[in-house]
Amino acid sequence: MHLPRRQFLTQASAGLASTLLAGLLGSVPGCVPARSAMRGQLRGAGAKLGHLLREPHKIPAPTHTQEVDVVIVGGGVSGLAARRELHRLAPSLRTLLLELEPEVGGNAAAGHNARTAYPWGAHYLPLPDERDHDLLAFLEEAGILTGYAPSGLPIYDETALCHDPAERLLLHGHWQPGLVPEAGVPAADRAEIARFLAEVERLRRTTGPDGRDLFRLPLDLSSANTTVRQLDQQSMADWLAAHGYRSEYLRWYLDYSYRDDFGVPAAQVSAWAGLHYFAARKGRAHNAPADAVLTWPSGNHHLADNLRRLGGPGRIWPNAVAFGLQEGADGRVEVLAYDGVTQQSTRIRTRQVVLATPWHVSKHLLPAPTAALAPLHAPWLVANLTVDGYPGGPGQPLCWDNVRYGSPALGYIDAEHQALRGFEPDEPRSLTFYWALPTDPGNPAAARRHAYASTYHDWLTLVLTELDLMHPGLAARVQAAELWVWGHGMVAPTPGYVWGPARQQARQPHLGGRVHLAHTDLSGVSVFEEAFHQGLRAARAIVQGAAAS
Amino acid sequence: MGEGSLLTRRRRARAAASAPAEGAPRPALLLGSVAVIATCGLLYELIAGTLASYLLGDSVTQFSTVIGVYLFSMGVGSWLSRYLGGQLLRWFIRLEILVGLVGGASAPLLFGLFAHVGSFRVLLYGLVGLLGALVGLEIPLLLRILQGRLAFKELVARVFTFDYVGSLLAAVIFPLVLVPRLGLVRTALLFGALNVVVAGVSLLSFDETKPYRRRYLGAIALALLALGAGVVGAERIQRYAEGEVFQDTVIYAQSTPYQRLVLTGNHRGELRLFLNGNLQFNSADEYRYHEALVHPAMQDRPRARQILVLGGGDGLAVRELLKYPQVQRIRLIDLDPAMTKLFKSNQLLRELNHNSLHSPKVEIHNADAYAWLRQDTTRYDVVLVDFPDPGNYSIGKLYTTAFYQTLRQRLRPGGLVVVQATSPYIARRAYWCVVHTMAASGFSPVPYHAYVPSFGEWGYVLAQAQPGTWRPDGGPLPAGLRYTTPKVIGQMRAFPPDMSEIPTDVNQLNNQALVRYFEEEWGPYGNG
Ligand SMILES: Cc1cc2nc3c(=O)[nH]c(=O)nc-3n(C[C@H](O)[C@H](O)[C@H](O)COP(=O)(O)OP(=O)(O)OC[C@H]3O[C@@H](n4cnc5c(N)ncnc54)[C@H](O)[C@@H]3O)c2cc1C
Repeated sequence: MHLPRRQFLTQASAGLASTLLAGLLGSVPGCVPARSAMRGQLRGAGAKLGHLLREPHKIPAPTHTQEVDVVIVGGGVSGLAARRELHRLAPSLRTLLLELEPEVGGNAAAGHNARTAYPWGAHYLPLPDERDHDLLAFLEEAGILTGYAPSGLPIYDETALCHDPAERLLLHGHWQPGLVPEAGVPAADRAEIARFLAEVERLRRTTGPDGRDLFRLPLDLSSANTTVRQLDQQSMADWLAAHGYRSEYLRWYLDYSYRDDFGVPAAQVSAWAGLHYFAARKGRAHNAPADAVLTWPSGNHHLADNLRRLGGPGRIWPNAVAFGLQEGADGRVEVLAYDGVTQQSTRIRTRQVVLATPWHVSKHLLPAPTAALAPLHAPWLVANLTVDGYPGGPGQPLCWDNVRYGSPALGYIDAEHQALRGFEPDEPRSLTFYWALPTDPGNPAAARRHAYASTYHDWLTLVLTELDLMHPGLAARVQAAELWVWGHGMVAPTPGYVWGPARQQARQPHLGGRVHLAHTDLSGVSVFEEAFHQGLRAARAIVQGAAAS
Repeated sequence: MGEGSLLTRRRRARAAASAPAEGAPRPALLLGSVAVIATCGLLYELIAGTLASYLLGDSVTQFSTVIGVYLFSMGVGSWLSRYLGGQLLRWFIRLEILVGLVGGASAPLLFGLFAHVGSFRVLLYGLVGLLGALVGLEIPLLLRILQGRLAFKELVARVFTFDYVGSLLAAVIFPLVLVPRLGLVRTALLFGALNVVVAGVSLLSFDETKPYRRRYLGAIALALLALGAGVVGAERIQRYAEGEVFQDTVIYAQSTPYQRLVLTGNHRGELRLFLNGNLQFNSADEYRYHEALVHPAMQDRPRARQILVLGGGDGLAVRELLKYPQVQRIRLIDLDPAMTKLFKSNQLLRELNHNSLHSPKVEIHNADAYAWLRQDTTRYDVVLVDFPDPGNYSIGKLYTTAFYQTLRQRLRPGGLVVVQATSPYIARRAYWCVVHTMAASGFSPVPYHAYVPSFGEWGYVLAQAQPGTWRPDGGPLPAGLRYTTPKVIGQMRAFPPDMSEIPTDVNQLNNQALVRYFEEEWGPYGNG
C-alpha cells in the first residue's frame, strides 16, 4: 500500500523534529530522545501500596471486623487458581480474595487503549502437557480447549493458537522466520545449535529410574533421580562450557530464552532449570504442532480472567493490601487488610489462609518465617508503544514476536496479531516491548533501586533507541508510550534454588496448618502452569484438612 | 476519425473564405504558425474524443458527439472573429496564449475531475465548446493579418495548404507516437505549450509589438510555467507506474485506507477494475465469473430468501442475485466504503451492475467481514464469499477453518456457501487447500470451476452445511443468462487430470498453509 502524502510529510517533519531535538538535547549519539509531545505515563505494580508493608506504623488500626472461611491473599494466577479450585471442591466455603492492585491478574496484568487490549506481563501459554488433566479441564471450562480428537489429543480453539507467522529474528540486517538463528549463520554454529537441540530433545523423551520424566511441568513431578537433580548445583553457563557449547549464536539464543522466561541469562540459571526450559515442554494437540503456543491480545490476563470468572461468588476485594497475619481466638487466623480507597483497615477472622503473594511479601506477613528462601527477582520494563507506521523491514513480515539478535532487550509483541479480521488497516498499532533488566545476583536491590529511580523519560529513551535499531525511523512515529516497571519481575531459578532445602521448607503450612503458601516463588520457575498448580496444591490442602477434621 | 478531421478542414475553409483583408508583415513566419496551430487544433479534438471514449465508453458515439460540438463551436468562433478589430496581431498573440492554456489543461482537467463532478458530460462539452470557439478564431484572424501582404488567391491557397499539412501531421503522430509515448495528459500539455510558443515567436518577430512586448513576455513565461507544472502534476493524476502496469488508460484511481482502486478503460469500451494491482474484473467477461459464482448455488436453492454477500462491493454478484424474484434481502458486507460508493454513483459502473446497489432489497455494510460475521445473529439461505485472493496473511485469515466455522453458524438448516477459490489450474494446491479446509470445517464441499478469459480457469467451492446432493437441474435458471445453463453447470464439476484433486494441508490461523501455497504457485506469474 502506498504511503499517503500527508503521512509522508508528517513522517518527514517528525523525523526532522527528532533530529533537531537530538541536537538540542546533546544526547548520546545513537540515542533516540523521547519527545515531550508523546503521551504516556510510568506505572509500576502496586509500588505505593506495597511499600506500606515496610512501614506498618503508617497503617491505621482496624476499625471493622469480618468473618469468612478462607482468605486468599494475592490475586495473581496462583491465588485465582486456588479460589477456583476451592469453589470446585467445596462450593459452600465462603472465600475472600484480597488484591492490592485495582484489578486481579498479578504478573498476568493487561491494559488497553482505543484499539486493542495488550499485555503488561505474562502473555502466552505453550501447549500444556496432555497428562496435565487439571489444567486441561480448566482450559476446557474456559472454552479454550474445545474437545478431543478420536486420537485422544486435545483440540484447541484455533483463534487462541498463535496465528502464523509467529516469530521472526532480525539477524544480519534481515528478518528471518523463527527465533533460532539460521540465516547467514556459519555451518559450525548451525551444527552446534542442532547438537544442543538434539540433546534436549533426547532429555525430553527420557524417564528416570523412578519411572518419572526427567523433566516435567509442574516441575515437582520431575524425576527425583539424583544425577539429574545435581544439575541444579551448577550454572547453565558452566554446563554449556563443560559440554563444549561455544557458539556465539547458540549462547545468545539461550541467554535470550532464559532472560525471557526467568529474567536472567544462562550464567545465573541452574543447569537443571536451563535444561528443564527445553526438555519439560511436552504439549501436543490435534490441531497444532508441539511447539505451538496459546495467546490472546490481553496475554495471560485472558487466563487469569477466566480463573476469576470460574471461581464462584466469593468476594474479590481490590485495592486491599494484607499487612498482618496473626493467631486469633478459638483457632481462627486474623488477616489485617488496609483498603487503599477508603483508607481504612479491617480485621478478617478466618479458618484458613492462602498466601498467594511473592516471598518478599509472605516473609513480612508470616509471624515466624521458617525458611531461608531468597528468590532472585530481576526488575522488568514493559513498554506499550502506539506506533503510526508499519514495523516492516527486509524479509519476514511483522510477526507476533519480533526479536533483534544481539539485543539486550527481548523484542516486542504485536498486540493485534490475534485480531480476527481480514484486513490490516493502515492505522497506528500497539507494540509491547519486554526488557528484563540486568541484575547482579549478589546485590539485586541495587538494580531495583536503579529501576525505581529512573524516570519516564529515561526509560522511553532506552525503548526508543531499541526500536530505532529494529526499525530505523520508526521511533519518530511513536504517538504514545505507556511504561510499566516491575520492581520484582519473576523468580529466577538460580543454582540450588529449585532442589535446595529452602524451597521445600517454605512451602510447609504455617500457623498450625492454617496458612498455606501458593506462589511461583515456591516453584522457582515462574510460568502459568506452575502458578496454576501452586493454587491447586494450597486449595486441596485446605479441603483435605477440612475433611480430616 | 479520419473522416472527422477532413470534415473539420472543410468547415474551416468555408469560415475563412469570408474573412476581410488587412495588412501584415513577415508572411512566411505566420504561415509556419498556421501549420503549428493546425496541428494543435486537431490534436485537442482528438484528445477530447479519445478521452471521452475512455471515460464514457462507446467510442463511436463519443467521437462523433465530441467532433460535432467542436466543429459547431469553431463555426461560432469564426463568426465571432468579426468583432475583433484594432491591433489584430495583439489579438492573435492573446488568442494563442489562451488556446495553449485551455487546450493544454483540457486532458488533465477531464481526467482529474472525472470522479468528482456531478455531470461529467457538462464539463466535457463545455470544455470542447470553449476550445472549438477559440480554435475557430485562429484562421480567420490570421487571414486578416496576412490579407494586405498577399494576393487573395495566393493567401487562401497557402494558408489552407499549411493548415492541411499540420492536420495530416497531427493525425499521423497522435496514434503512432503521442498516445503510446506520452499519454493523453502530457500530449495535451505539450501542444498547449506549442501554442504559447507561437504567441512568443509572433511577439518577438514583429516591431509593432514593442510597446507591450515586456508585459506579454511575462504572461507567456507564466503560461509555459503553468503547463510545465502540469506535466509534473500529470504523473500524479495518471500515476506513471500505473501507466506502465495497466495497458489501458487509467480513468479512475484512488488510494483508500484499505486498498488502491484503479479503473481502466480502452477504446473497445472494456472497463477493468484493479485492487492493489490485481485484476478484479474485466467488463467484457465478468458475467462469466459472476454467473458461475451465483447461479449454481441459487438454482439449487430455489426458495432462498436471505442472502449474504461477503466482499463483492462492485455489486456484480448482487446483480445476478436480483434475477431471482423470491430473494427478499441481500446483505452485502464490503470493507471499503470508497468501493461501494464508486459502484453506487459512477454512471458507467452503475450501467454494468444494473444499479444493483440501489435495489431496496440490498443492504450495504462497510465492515471487515470477519468482525461483522462474529457479531451477526442472522441466518442465511445462501452466502457468497467473494474475497480477494489469499495473497497475504491478513486475507489468509478469511480462508481458515476458524473463519469457515464461524460462517457455518450463520447458515440456515440446508443453507449453502459458495467461495471463490483462485485458479485450480495455476494454483492447484491453493485451490484444493480451500476445498479441504472447508471439509475440515464441517462442510460438505462440491468443487467446480468455470472458464473466464480474463482470468483463465477459475475455481469455486460450493459447500453445504449438511451432506446433500447438488443438483445441476435443481430449479429454473433466470432468463437471459449468457453463460450458465443446466448443462454447463454439470460440466463445471468435471476436473481434468491437470487440475484434479491433490492432497494438501488444511488452512488454519496458526499455519496459514494457503498463503504459502498461493505465493509459491502464483509467484512465477508476478502475482500474489
Ligand atoms: C514481564 C513478565 C512477563 C511474563 N511472561 C510470562 C509468560 O509469557 N508466560 C508465563 O507463563 N509466565 C510469564 N511470566 C511469569 C508470571 O509471573 C507467571 O506466569 C504467573 O503469572 C505468576 O503468578 P503468581 O500468582 O505466582 O504471582 P503474581 O502474579 O506475582 O501474583 C501475586 C499477587 O499478589 C498481590 N499481592 C502482593 N502483595 C500483596 C498484599 N500484601 N496484599 C494483597 N495482595 C498482594 C500482587 O498484586 C499480585 O497480584 C511473566 C512475568 C513477568 C513479570
